[in-house]
Amino acid sequence: MASHARYYDGESALVHEVSVRPTAAELVIFRLADAGIVARWPVGELAVLGDTAHEAVPPVVRKGFEARLLVDDPDLRRQLAAWVPQLAPLALSPGPVGRRVVAFGATLAALVGLFWLVVDYGSEYAAPLLPYSLQAKLGESVFEELTADKDECHGKGGLATINDLANRLAHAADYPHDITVYVIEGGPVNAYTLPGGILVVYSDLIDQAKDSSQVAGVVAHEIGHAVHYHPMKGLARQYGVELMVKLVSGGYSDLLNTLTSGGNLLLALRNGRAFEREADATGVALLEKLELRADGIASFFEQMMEKEPKDMAAAAGVWSSHPPTAERIAATRRPASGKPAFSDAQWKALRNVCK
Amino acid sequence: MSDATSPWGQSVTQNAPEAPPAAPDLTPSRPFYDGKLADLYAIYLRHLVLMLLTVGWSRFWGRTRIRRYLWNHFAILGDRFEYRGRGRELLIGFLLAVLMLAVWGGLLWLVWIYVFHEKPIASFGLLDMFWLSVALIGFPLAYVGQYAGLRYRLSRTRWRGIRCALAGSAWGYGAMASFLIFVNALTGQLMTPVVSVNLARPRISNVRFGTLPFVFAGASGDIYGRYLGFYFLNIIAWVVAAVIIFGAIGGTIGSLGISSDDVLKLFSQFSLRTVLIVAAVALGAYVVFGLLILPLRCWWQAYLFRYLVSHSRAGEVLFATAISTRQMWGFLVLNYLIVVLTLGLGWPWVMHRTLKLIAAELWLYGAPDGANIRQPTDRGPPFGEGLLDMFDVSGI
Repeated sequence: MASHARYYDGESALVHEVSVRPTAAELVIFRLADAGIVARWPVGELAVLGDTAHEAVPPVVRKGFEARLLVDDPDLRRQLAAWVPQLAPLALSPGPVGRRVVAFGATLAALVGLFWLVVDYGSEYAAPLLPYSLQAKLGESVFEELTADKDECHGKGGLATINDLANRLAHAADYPHDITVYVIEGGPVNAYTLPGGILVVYSDLIDQAKDSSQVAGVVAHEIGHAVHYHPMKGLARQYGVELMVKLVSGGYSDLLNTLTSGGNLLLALRNGRAFEREADATGVALLEKLELRADGIASFFEQMMEKEPKDMAAAAGVWSSHPPTAERIAATRRPASGKPAFSDAQWKALRNVCK
Repeated sequence: MSDATSPWGQSVTQNAPEAPPAAPDLTPSRPFYDGKLADLYAIYLRHLVLMLLTVGWSRFWGRTRIRRYLWNHFAILGDRFEYRGRGRELLIGFLLAVLMLAVWGGLLWLVWIYVFHEKPIASFGLLDMFWLSVALIGFPLAYVGQYAGLRYRLSRTRWRGIRCALAGSAWGYGAMASFLIFVNALTGQLMTPVVSVNLARPRISNVRFGTLPFVFAGASGDIYGRYLGFYFLNIIAWVVAAVIIFGAIGGTIGSLGISSDDVLKLFSQFSLRTVLIVAAVALGAYVVFGLLILPLRCWWQAYLFRYLVSHSRAGEVLFATAISTRQMWGFLVLNYLIVVLTLGLGWPWVMHRTLKLIAAELWLYGAPDGANIRQPTDRGPPFGEGLLDMFDVSGI
């Protein structure tokens, strides 16, 4: 057998046009021009670098040496592979390319779907399982970030009042951890929940509340978020989707994040609306369980609607993080019956929490 | 340019003209790329599947496989390139970069505890300090990573069995790049030719093929005239684009009888309509920008690229290219759009297009003196690209 191949000696950049002849113990490489032997490689030391799926011409080498033999001719490669077991990789075929593209493409599509399901539904069960101490640490660091340039209110009576209500509501939901409520001076008229049972209430909300039942309603709503671990679930979903986008874009491109953040945002907002509905329902149920006035949530929304008659959430549709306000009022409307959440003294203390 | 004619007007097929013995051999040739898009997709989709299964940890091996394919399907003078990097080298490089950041974070933490006694300075906490410092050192570090990454890739690249290499200091390159880009920003981008030429010089003249060094003979003075033309045309184009965009917005508002109150209302009350209007305006602005500014930029980039290539050589082998503005648009703009519009799945197509472009537009004159080019003793860095991976700028 004698056929064309290229030989690089590994010491210089010379190219030798060569032929090869396998014997029982050696692969003999000799020049085409004058039949001079350029190398004799023991069969036991032969190896193929790379593979035919990735390389058009995988180099044949003698282990431990820099020289290379390049066999372009597929027929010769097959013959060498048949004669010398170490050179078998030269004849391996990666299979029809169309079939590989379809197989990997279908697997990828299935995995993306699976990943999405795992993120969307798995976080529902997995996020609350994160050790509570870690959730609390995460919540504390986010709290510090969000409130770094704000003043915290330290009125002892007011803080004790609102913390007591929050913990009574949480215990009524069999939530096994303590809740800590912080009151931040100023606005907006808002409250939110962070991982680790941290509630943040702005003093403008307390100041503008018509009565104590509205504040109790808002606290009950936020406890609804806490006992369902909504902040952790939301974070887990957002992180999961971001990770998937990164992986499916090959892990190379950050510019895609800009484009795909729209989808991610929609998912976060959709979660947001589902979470809000669940927190509303839980909040009302907890107030009723403790036989407290449960009309505060609906009346708080009504007050908001009076200030801004156009339902912003309804107008924004899928772009809203909250369900339409009118829908929430209808779902949470309750009679003004039951015990007040705070005594007059407690309500007064809460009103003065920042003074 | 026709297929058969090189930028210097010589025919590919014709024999080298008869010349006195001392004249260099300037036979023109072009690289050869025979990769198949379907093959590349098979490799890339497998890489994505593994990425999802391993939550991204397979990327080092995936990248290596793609490089092996691209390198080995690209040939010069009939000899294919070889990529012999390993996934684990990239993994170790990445872990070292993570370790480096961790050590930096630890040092900052110690400073936080013992110097600042855990007291924030004007609400500036430990995390803020860490991220600000990373952003500050990240800029020069990205250039250090770029240079070190190029060194790693070259050290794993062989042609005719001979290893390539990149000499010079990556830290020096990072410092110089940061300084030049800072000065360029201060001077309203008027230093761009100095920056382009001085950043290209180490990346070209420090390249070694075995013992053969590359040579770069460019000087920023050569391209300043063309750059100033581009610079002022660019300003005019921006002004024209701004006039067109604002004129169109004003005209639309006027013709539809929309008052300024309506406009204010639109933006004070966020709705789906606001999103659609903002998106339409952004698209219109992008089209005007794309028609006016990008072709101008591509014209400059094509010129710069032609200049840099034609002022480079490897021993007696000279390089040249006649890449046009349209081709540069395909490379810079179309490739970008392909990646964005396919949500990343167009990467193999972009790589394929790029290598086809190089194979079609790069011309070599002459052949290296193989006998005098020796295998280098230096094997290059043991690990690769950690910083590049960290700052997500490595591509393929």
